[in-house]
Amino acid sequence: MASSDGTETETPDFPAARRHLLTELIRFVAVLRRDGVAVPASGTLDAARALAAVGLADERRVEAALRASLLAETADGDAFDEAFPTFWHRLRSGLDRIATAHDGPSPAGDEGADGDDREADDAAPADDSERDDAAEPGLLDDAEPPEMDADGDGDPTVKIPTDRRHVAGDRPTDESREESDGRRYSAVGESALVEADVPTPSSEERAAAGRFVDALSSLPGRRRRRSPTGPAVDARGALRASLQTGGAPIDLPRDAPTPSELRCCLLVDVSGSVLDTVDRSALLALGERVATSARDARVFLFDTDFAEATAAFADPARSPADALRAAEIEWGGGTKIGHALGELRRTAPHAVDRRTVVVVVSDGLDVGDPALFTDGITWLSDRADGVVWLNPLAVSPSFEPASRGMSDAAPYVDGLFGFAAASDLAEAARQIERRGLGGPIGYEHDPRRTGGAPGGGRGRTDDETGTGDAGEGGVV
Amino acid sequence: MSGELDANPFASLTEEELRERFEETDYVADDRTVTTVDLALRLGRPLLVEGPPGSGKTELGKTLAEGFDTELIRLQCYEGLTAENALYEWNYTKQLLAVQADEGTVAGGAATNGDAGAAGGRDREAGAAGAGSVFGEEYLLERPLLRALRNAEGRPPVLLIDEIDRADEEFEAFLLELLSDFQVSIPEYGTVSASTPPIVILTSNRTRGLSDALKRRCLYLHVEPPSFETEYEIVRRKVPELDAAVAAEVCSVVERLREESFLKRPGVAETLDWARAVAALRHDDADEPLAPDVIERTIGCLLKEAEDVSRVDAELLERLHDAASAAAERVE
Repeated sequence: MASSDGTETETPDFPAARRHLLTELIRFVAVLRRDGVAVPASGTLDAARALAAVGLADERRVEAALRASLLAETADGDAFDEAFPTFWHRLRSGLDRIATAHDGPSPAGDEGADGDDREADDAAPADDSERDDAAEPGLLDDAEPPEMDADGDGDPTVKIPTDRRHVAGDRPTDESREESDGRRYSAVGESALVEADVPTPSSEERAAAGRFVDALSSLPGRRRRRSPTGPAVDARGALRASLQTGGAPIDLPRDAPTPSELRCCLLVDVSGSVLDTVDRSALLALGERVATSARDARVFLFDTDFAEATAAFADPARSPADALRAAEIEWGGGTKIGHALGELRRTAPHAVDRRTVVVVVSDGLDVGDPALFTDGITWLSDRADGVVWLNPLAVSPSFEPASRGMSDAAPYVDGLFGFAAASDLAEAARQIERRGLGGPIGYEHDPRRTGGAPGGGRGRTDDETGTGDAGEGGVV
Repeated sequence: MSGELDANPFASLTEEELRERFEETDYVADDRTVTTVDLALRLGRPLLVEGPPGSGKTELGKTLAEGFDTELIRLQCYEGLTAENALYEWNYTKQLLAVQADEGTVAGGAATNGDAGAAGGRDREAGAAGAGSVFGEEYLLERPLLRALRNAEGRPPVLLIDEIDRADEEFEAFLLELLSDFQVSIPEYGTVSASTPPIVILTSNRTRGLSDALKRRCLYLHVEPPSFETEYEIVRRKVPELDAAVAAEVCSVVERLREESFLKRPGVAETLDWARAVAALRHDDADEPLAPDVIERTIGCLLKEAEDVSRVDAELLERLHDAASAAAERVE
């Protein structure tokens, strides 16, 4: 981490690596401070100097250097131990990505592009001359250092560039901030009716949404049926049969869960931060599909308000955009997820039962009462068969469920997937089909995220289960 | 800051070199300690070492001085320690005699301080400290801190400020200027700054919290009681006369003792004391394991509180004996 002068022509990614390191370091210090560690004011500077001295090759030395420069109390060691592995992982994976970005096609070369550009990007290897102004893959290239609340104990907030725009949520009082870059979403800002310039879903998007909903509604049910090739022994059946043989279980019948269609409940966060980051037509395709094909489906829209929109989505005579308009939800005023879940519980308690899969589309940047949110999500998780969370931010390779809302929700969510475009739905469907809701599913198992397919890039549709298998190991 | 870094003779010190120095001086350090000390040297920052008594904090300072073949200047802190005790004093008796014998004057006179420029980096205030003044070099009694700054050998000394938590907060505040700029101001004499900043090691037993301002200026190292393997290594090096098998038994017993909730758990220093005691008591030809009665008779080397000693009963001795017998396999 020396100075960047004179090296730019030789190694164009050098400044990027430096920026990445500093961003991660500042984030790490912010996390420590949030956890109550009294990091000295100049600690970050010292830590940066210390890292410059020890280098970044050896995890143990980096840890010792940071520990020496950031900590001043024995008691803070635990918080440090807890936070360090994440820091190290993020740092290394980011640096690796920067280092390898030279050789091959950019894994995120079509970041920000729409589906139509996909083939072009896949075909052409990244051009070095273009690379300079292209976004660094996987790097929070324009992320700003995390900002702490004035009292120092709030969540560290980092603006994460997503596929579409910058999102900075979870920031309760920032009315006075200037509109410096991108669009900021203020929780206390005025709501405004959105012009519904929503394109009609393409057939591809409809197909992806269909596959996702089908994957959800063909989950194994709870009832079991005798099956010679079933996965488990039918203990009751075996006991009953053993009565004929004097208590000796001669043959062990097997059983399998009967496939069962689950009910589906879709909760869509229509705050501005979500709608700007997801592909709206894919979102509407999902809503339509849930409303028309899932059994007993209910669709709800929420931001700071909460309203049911099942009828609008289900009625084929009305366009999806009209449906959103008809719901008369005012968009863009922040999200109160806890409040919405409370309303759901109060006004439509039968929409969620133990045979319902709840699909939540939200970025989890909750501005409401955290206690209310925890109440709501635990109720939802207790009551529903499964909770699938589609988070538009989770498509970013550097996503971690670190915001207050997401970290509160994470333990209660069966699967947390990215959702910015229809291909994300296809990927989620693929994982659910293969492993079921209880299995290891989620954004972290997305082969596109783990860098398995550098040529594929974002937006690769994965319709054949065959290629899905290959992508499983993360190596293609 | 950058100017000091340039002058820092350790700027290119590698961990391997440092580890070698530790090896030479028989100081067994874990990786974290080596990295942290290396950083402190390379960045020219004071190092604040905290840990329970007897964990080798002071030894670290001594080792550095020995390893780099330089002077160890030790300042033992205590309650009531004042800047005069730590920094400098005027030799009043000599001053008084000089004035009476008319060799010096309180106001200043002809230049007798020929070696003015020799002690590097020192600024003179021409008016106050003229020749013949009794506020000159020869009337100045250097105390440890000033000595560390004025070291003219070119090789930075090791300044060990021991048990800083025992000193008053006023003294701690006084140290701040010294630690950040490596300079002090003497009103009658001028500002003394170090040409090469000394290696500063501060140790603390955590009897009270240190101020944030002090902590901010230092790198921080917390030393834990060592693991069995490390302690065995230490005993082998420091008490070479003790049989290897017995050394393992000694470490094993101490490790077991640390699990008990004593008022004062034995540190490495106590282990070494005890190892030496055991070595002294053993007959040359004997190679039987540590007997419970030997442990009981020498327990005073390990436990320094009457209540702790009284808690050592037959049952605990039996368990210690078991630990000792199990030690042999652990070293394999």
